[in-house]
Amino acid sequence: MAGLNAVPSSLASPEARGQFAAIARLRWCIFVNSLRTLRGRLEVVSWIFVGMGFAAFGLGGAFGLGAASWAIVSRGHVEWLGLPFWAVLLYWQLFPLMATAFTENFDSSNFLRFPLRYRSYFLIRMAYGALDPVNLVASLWLVGIAAGIGVAAPRLLPAALLALTAFAILNLLLARTIFAWLERWLARRRTREILGILFLLIIIGIQFIGPLMGRYGNHGERRVGPLPPLVAKLLPAERALPPGLAAEAIARAAQGRFGAALGALALQCAWGGVIFWLLDMRLRAQYRGESLSESAAPAASREKTRPARTGWELPGISGPVAAVVEKELRYLSRSGPMLFTLLMPVVVLLIFRLAPANGPRGHSGLAQHAGFAFPAGAAYALLILSNLIYNNFGADARGIQFFFLSPVRFREIVLAKNLAHAAVLALEMVIVWIAACVMFGRPPLGITLATLAGALFGALANFLAGNLMSLYAPKKYDFAVLGRQRAAGTTVLANLAVQIVVIGLAAATLVMATHYDRIWIATLVFLALAAVAFAGYTIVLGRIDGVALARRESLIAELCRA
Amino acid sequence: MDAPAVSTEHLTRRFGDLIAVDDIDLRVTPGQFFGFLGPNGAGKSTTIKMLTGLLAPSAGRIEILGLDLAAHPAEVKRQIGVVPEGMALFGRLTGAEYLNFVGRMYGLDRKTASQRAAELLDFMQLADQPKALVTDYSHGMQKKLALAAAVIHGPRILFLDEPFEGVDAIASGTLKAMLQRMIARGATIFLTSHVLEIVERLCSHLAIIHRGRLVAQGSLEELRAGVEAQTAVTAPDGAPSSSPAAPRGEKLTLEEIFLRIVGGSRLAEQELSWLG
Repeated sequence: MAGLNAVPSSLASPEARGQFAAIARLRWCIFVNSLRTLRGRLEVVSWIFVGMGFAAFGLGGAFGLGAASWAIVSRGHVEWLGLPFWAVLLYWQLFPLMATAFTENFDSSNFLRFPLRYRSYFLIRMAYGALDPVNLVASLWLVGIAAGIGVAAPRLLPAALLALTAFAILNLLLARTIFAWLERWLARRRTREILGILFLLIIIGIQFIGPLMGRYGNHGERRVGPLPPLVAKLLPAERALPPGLAAEAIARAAQGRFGAALGALALQCAWGGVIFWLLDMRLRAQYRGESLSESAAPAASREKTRPARTGWELPGISGPVAAVVEKELRYLSRSGPMLFTLLMPVVVLLIFRLAPANGPRGHSGLAQHAGFAFPAGAAYALLILSNLIYNNFGADARGIQFFFLSPVRFREIVLAKNLAHAAVLALEMVIVWIAACVMFGRPPLGITLATLAGALFGALANFLAGNLMSLYAPKKYDFAVLGRQRAAGTTVLANLAVQIVVIGLAAATLVMATHYDRIWIATLVFLALAAVAFAGYTIVLGRIDGVALARRESLIAELCRA
Repeated sequence: MDAPAVSTEHLTRRFGDLIAVDDIDLRVTPGQFFGFLGPNGAGKSTTIKMLTGLLAPSAGRIEILGLDLAAHPAEVKRQIGVVPEGMALFGRLTGAEYLNFVGRMYGLDRKTASQRAAELLDFMQLADQPKALVTDYSHGMQKKLALAAAVIHGPRILFLDEPFEGVDAIASGTLKAMLQRMIARGATIFLTSHVLEIVERLCSHLAIIHRGRLVAQGSLEELRAGVEAQTAVTAPDGAPSSSPAAPRGEKLTLEEIFLRIVGGSRLAEQELSWLG
C-alpha cells in the first residue's frame, strides 16, 4: 500500500507543513465565510453563550477537583488521587457519548483524496476537534488538580505535571479510540447485536453484585478505616488502570521512591501504547479507504427477488403520514450509532447504580431515592431524543427536496416525524422503566404515573420548540456516524433553554409533591402543563406550512450541501 | 384547446444583486419532449427549481397545466414528477422501501404503491439487490431509482435535471426507453442536459438560456434555420467565428447551433502550456 508504510519523511517536510497549513487555512476560511450570513453570525453568538456555560462548568469543576486534590494530599492520602482522576476519565470518555451535540465532526473522506501520508492523516485526526468543549473542560479540571497538588505539596508538582500530562494524552487517545471502534462495531448488524448482548449481560450481571457482596462482603459493623470495604477490594485492580497508575506515580514520588514512580508512569505509558495501537489499527483501515456500510455492496448481492412488501398501515392515520412514520422508524432502526445513543439512559442508570457507596446505608445517591430512578432515566431519555426532535430534517439531507416536491402538506410531514419520535420515546420509557425496576426496584405507581404525565408534557413542549428550530436552524446529520456531529449553536441554546424550563419545572413539581406525600398532585400539574403545551403545539403545527415555505431555500441549501 | 403544459410570464429570480433568471417567457405544449439548454451557471437549475416549486420566483408567474403554481402548489405537484439536481433520495432505505414511500406520499394506496414499486425496480434492473440501501447504490443505480420515483404516480409532466449525468450506456438506454414510452402515451417531458447528442435525439422542442435570459426557443429546425439565417447575414463581412461550422451542404448539429448561440472559447497555443 503506497504511502501507508513508506512514511520515512518527517511531519516537518515542506509537503506535510504545506498540507497542515492548507487545512488550517481551510478551517479559518470556512469560519470567516460563515460570518457572511445572519445565521452564521447567530451561530457564533450562540456558541459564545454555550462556551460561557462550559467555561463555568470547567472552572467550577477545576476548583472542586483542585480543592479535593489539595485535601487528599494535605491529609497524606496521595494514593487517593485516583478518585479525582477517575472523575476526569469518566467525564472525558462518557460525556461525548452522552451529549454528542458538542463534539466536532470529522469526515475522513474529505481528506483522503489528497496525497496525505498516513502520519499526517493521523495527526489531522487527532487535531480535529481537539479544542472541543469536552477536551477543554477536562484539561481545565486536570489543571485544577495540578494546582491543588502544587499548593498542598509544591515538591510534588513536577511529578504531578508529568503524570497528568501522560494522563491527558492517554485520555485524548482513548476518546478517539472509543469513537473509532464503536463506529466500526455499530456499522454492522452482527457486531451491533454482539454489543447489544454484551450490554444485556452487564445489566443482568449487576443483579449479582448485591447478593455476592452480601455473601462475601463484611457483615460486621461498618469498618472504621481509611477506605470503605468495596473500594479496598477493588484497589489492586484500580491501581493497574490509568487513573490509579497516575495516582500511584505521584504517591511514590511523594515517598521519595522515584524508581517506583517512574515504573507507574511507564505502565501508564504502556496503557497509552496499547490504546495508540488500537487507534492506529482503526485509522490505518480508514486510510486504506475502508467503507463502513450497513448493507452488503449491491454488486455482491445476488439474492432472489422477493415480492415488494406493502408499506405500513397505521390505524386512524393517513397514508402519507404513515409513510413518513415508517420511513423515520426504518432510518432509526438502521442506525447503529443512533440506537446506541438511545440506550444511553440505561447506561446512565447503570452508572448511578455502580456509583461508589456513600449514603448512610452504603447506597449511592440515586439508590437512596430509588423511586426517582425512573423519572431521572425518563428525563435523560427525553434529553437524548431532543437531538432528533430539534433537527427533524437533519438526516433527510437531500431528501428534503422531496418533501417540498410532494403534494403533502408540511404539517403532515412534521406531524409524522413527531409521531415517530413519540413512538421512540414511548419505547424508551418502557426500557427505562424495566431497567429502573431491575436496578433499583419497581418505582411506586404514583411516581410512575407522574413520570408518564411529565414525559407527555416534556415531549409536547419539545416538539413545539423542536419543530420551529428544525426549520430555522437545520443541520445535516449522518445517522451512520457516531456522534461527532456538532449541532447548530442556536439549536443547542434553544434546546438547553427548553430543557432547563421543562426538566426544572418537572423536578421541582416532583420533589414538592413527594415532600408533601401527595404525588398525585404532580400528575395533575403535569397533565395541566401538557394541555397548555398541546395548545401551543397545535398552533405552531397549524402555521408550519407557511414557515416551511418561507424557509425552503435556506433549508434546502443547508441540507443539500456536500 | 389544451392549456400549455408549462407556461411562464416574466419569470425572474434574483439572488441579491445577481439576476439568475431574467424575465423568461416559456411555453411548453402538452406531449412535447422539451430540452432546456444553457451553459454552466446560465440559470437552468434555478428555472427548473422554480417550475417545480422548490424555489420562489422574485417576480413573474408560473402555470403548470393551466394551474397557477403559487395558488395551487399541491394540485400542481400531484401532476408532475421531478428528478431534481442531487436526486433527493433517502439513502437509508432500500430501493423498494423508497419507492413505496414515494408512492404513498403521492396518494397511492399501499397495494398499488408496492405493485408499481416492484414493476419499476424490475424494469430498471434494480430488483436483484432487495436488501441494498440506496446509499450503497452506484451513481447510475441512484439515477434510475430517482427516475422510477419520479414516475411512480404516473405524472403528466416530468421535470428532469441532468438525468444522464454519470450514467453508463446501459442505464442510459433504459432511461431513454422509459422516457420515449411516456412521450408516446402523451406525457410532457422537460429536460435539462449537457449531453447535446442525447437532447438532439430525444427532444422535439428546445429553449436555450444564457446568462439568465432566454436566447432561443422553438423546434430544432426552427433554431437551425435561425442560426443559418444569421450566419448568412454575417458571412459576407468575413466576421471571424470561434464556433465550429458545418461542412458545406450538411445540417448544423445541435452542438454547433448551441455554440453559435451562446459562444465559446478555444484554447490558444500559449495558454496553459504547463499542462503538457
